[in-house]
Parts: sequence; C-alpha cells; structure tokens
Amino acid sequence: MVRGLTLLALAYLLSVPGVYAQAPGEVGNAAQTEQAMAWLERLGPALNMTSYQGVFVYARGDQVHSMRIAHRFRDGRVEERLVMQDGGSGEIVRRGMNVVCVLPDQGRIRLDEVIPSGPFAEAFTSQLMPFGQWYLPELVGEDRVAGYDVVTVALTPKDEHRYSHRLWLEKSTGLLVKSHVRDVDGAVLEHFQFTSLEITVDIPDAEFEIQTRGREITRSLDVEAARQSPVGRMSGWTLNWQPEGFVPAAVPRSGKGKAVAFSDGLAAFSVFVEPVTGLKMPTGASRIGATTVYMRELSVADRPFLIAVVGEIPPGTARKVADAVSIDDEMAREWSARDH
Amino acid sequence: MDERLRETLSAMMDDEADELSVRRLLSHENQADVRDQWQRWQQVRDLMHENHGPSYGVDLAGAVREALDGHERPAPVAERARTVAVSYWRWPVAAMVVMALVVGFGAGAGWDAQPDEMTDVLASAGIDSSNPALLPSAVEEVALQRLDEQQLRQMRQYLLEHAQHNSVGAGRGSVGYARLVSASGGY
Repeated sequence: MVRGLTLLALAYLLSVPGVYAQAPGEVGNAAQTEQAMAWLERLGPALNMTSYQGVFVYARGDQVHSMRIAHRFRDGRVEERLVMQDGGSGEIVRRGMNVVCVLPDQGRIRLDEVIPSGPFAEAFTSQLMPFGQWYLPELVGEDRVAGYDVVTVALTPKDEHRYSHRLWLEKSTGLLVKSHVRDVDGAVLEHFQFTSLEITVDIPDAEFEIQTRGREITRSLDVEAARQSPVGRMSGWTLNWQPEGFVPAAVPRSGKGKAVAFSDGLAAFSVFVEPVTGLKMPTGASRIGATTVYMRELSVADRPFLIAVVGEIPPGTARKVADAVSIDDEMAREWSARDH
Repeated sequence: MDERLRETLSAMMDDEADELSVRRLLSHENQADVRDQWQRWQQVRDLMHENHGPSYGVDLAGAVREALDGHERPAPVAERARTVAVSYWRWPVAAMVVMALVVGFGAGAGWDAQPDEMTDVLASAGIDSSNPALLPSAVEEVALQRLDEQQLRQMRQYLLEHAQHNSVGAGRGSVGYARLVSASGGY
C-alpha cells in the first residue's frame, strides 16, 4: 500500500515539468536571498534535532529506492532506524555513535557496504560552508510536501562547474523533506522526497529496535579519525585545479582510504588515485543521475595510474578535475620499484 | 511491444543498442513481455550456437521454427543465423548486464518505471549531447552497459566510497543514506 502510494506520488512529481530558477544576473533580490540563507542555516541542526518518522523515495538515473526512517533526538543523542522498502529486507539502527546493521539474506542491496564507516552529520554541521559565494540562494515559493507546509529554496550556481539544487524545508522545523539536483536546463537528475512524514517526538521505543532477523554487524563511529587533517591523505599526488570553493572535506576514512573528498558545502566529489593493477578501465564519463564518474589513466615513469573523480558535478567539471591531477615522480618510482 | 522496442531488444542481442533505446526498453511498462521475447530469442541463440549439444542438432530448423513460433519477425533472425554460421556467437556482455537490469526490475525491487515520465528524466540523465555545458564533446561518454562485470564492480566501489564521504560530509542526512543504498544496490 505504502509502495503504491509512493509510486503514484513519484510518477506525479516526475511528470511536473521543472520550473527553473532564474539566471543569477536577473534577480538580485537581496531580501529573498537573505531569507533563503536563514532557512539554510536551520537545515543542518534540523536534520539531527528534529524527531520524525516516515518513508522517503530516492531516484537517480534509472534507480528508485524507498526507505522507512524513524529519527529521534532525545537527551542530546540521536536514535535512528532505517528499513529498506524494496530489494532485500534489511535495516540500519543507530544509537548515538553505535550503528547496527542487519543484512538481508538475499537481494540486491548489500548492507555490509552500506554501513557508514564514520561519524554522522553532527560532527560536521558546525562547519557550515559559505556556499552563498558559489550559489545564489533564493526563496522561490511555498508548497506542501507529505502533508507539511514547506518553503522552497533554489540554489543556482554562479559558474558552470556545479549543478543547481532545490531544497524543500518544513516550515516549523527546517527539516529537509524534498530535494532536487538539476542541470542547467532544469532537468531533475536526482530526486529525494518524503512521501509520508510525521514530525513528532512521540515515537515508541519499539520503533528503534531491530526487527529483522539476520546477520548483524556492529560498528562504532570514530569521531577522532575523521577530525584528522585530510591533507595528509593526498600524499603522492597533487590536484592543480578544482572549482572555486571546493575544499578538502574532513570526512571519515573509508575503504582503502586512497580517496580525498572535496565539498563546496552543497555538492561533493571524491578523487581516487590508484596504481593500475590488472583491471583496465575505459577513459570517459558515466552518469547515474546527478552523479558523474570520470576515469582516466595517467602514466608516470612508465607506471600507469587510474584517476577517478566521482561526484554530484557535471561531467565537464569532473573531467577538468581529473585532468588536473598530477602524480609525484616519487610515488611513481616507488610503485615502479614494487613492480620489478 | 512495439516495433521500436523489439528492434532495441534485437540490437541488444548483437550488442548494438544505443543507450537511449535501452533505457526506453527498460522503462517499458510490460517487463514480462520484454523478458519473454528475450527468452525466446535466447533459445534461438542457444540453438544456433556453434557449441550446441547433439540433442539440439537433430532438427535445428524445426526447433528454431518452434522457438520463433508466435513472433513475427523471422527475417533478422535468419540474417543473424548466417552471421553465426561464420563466427562464434559471442554472448554480448553488455546485453547480459542490461538483461540483468531488466530482470532485476521485474523480479527484484518491484519497481516498474513509469514509461513516459521516467523516460523524460532518464533521457536527460543519460546522453544529452545537445547540451554542451553538460557534456562537452570533449568528454567521452562511457555507457555503463559497455562495462564488464569487474569494471562495474570497480565503479560501484567508487560510487560507494564517494557516497560514504557524502553521507556524512555534506550534512544532508537521509539523502546521504539514500545515495549509499543506491550506490550499493545498483550498478
């Protein structure tokens, strides 16, 4: 039933043509911009400190996912439970810094990869980035989403290196209830939206208990590791250009830890630099909704390296970033030595 | 299923379908039809494969007729048969990946994309060479369908690691989770 409604809602939303934000030069309504900024400042705290439950849908490219979420902020601690609504059954339960993940027996969603390997938003929301410098924020209207009155904030990029964003924030709490990432034509590339939502502190404890039976994986989030300077991890290579405003983001180390993430406060991209070992990847860009994956190979001292740029940025930007990576001779020599 | 979709399916068998038509096919409202058609052709392919077992070899023509029974497009298949006679019918990897997606949509997630609305979005999310700002001609598009299983896995790993950065770094809460699940569940 819920899924049916969700689908209907999504179909409806996708059929509504996007009304695109005006170009930066045309408006300049300072009051509106100021109002929009005030709303955006509420966004970060609202994400953690609001208590709510509901179902949201996320679509990019040809993928659509829906998840049920219960989120409670009590005694300064966040409790959260997410349950997959399609694909394999599975859930993520988080209490403060402890995350428990129940894996599905089958299905396409592999939850063991889903566990965030680092701290959540609150560790970072303190560093609200001055993204007003690179986007023009505007209050473009009021609307209703999932039964709640919302304000709509459009963020139009001031250069061609970024996508535009549109955020729908619930009026009384500032909670993000819907968002779009759009290209310059206004086409929606990525779509997030609550289809049912109840903002309430009255959520029974049972909603935060694990209910799926299956293999459990527990992980504790490490705040300290994330606070380390990201600069050290960019060893062996240099990024000679990035769009203005993108700075190395203090994010948790994940996977093999070779990536460095950059963020302008709204969009983010990650740069991976790895020696090529056997697997050849094609050169070029692939797009999944708003996410671009651009890959290229670069040989230094006869040692091939794969450079991959992944992020919610246009393909042209991803390519420029990938092209701006230079690998230090020393790292190349080191790897060459290992080869022989 | 209309002729255009049938052609796409046929082109997929030969690994010649372009991404847009494949996406159109993926969003076709009757995925069961698509699957059935695909399976019929796959049978034909198996029958014609050079390494077919002896049991298939007995009455090839009859078996092909049987497999084709009920669909009215014998000409291209016959043409394909000639191609097969001279070269191996190498199972196109890309087509397999795409087929996995089709089957996945029908059987797994329970989401059949809405034909019209989705196509609009997909078209813009896919190839849009008319917009130079988005996809400069200098940026070569790598269709996911053209990647092999190992390459797709590598790409999924990149998407996942990026999503993990994003989920926590950009402070977008649920959007971050959704990107994570999307990255691990899809390509």
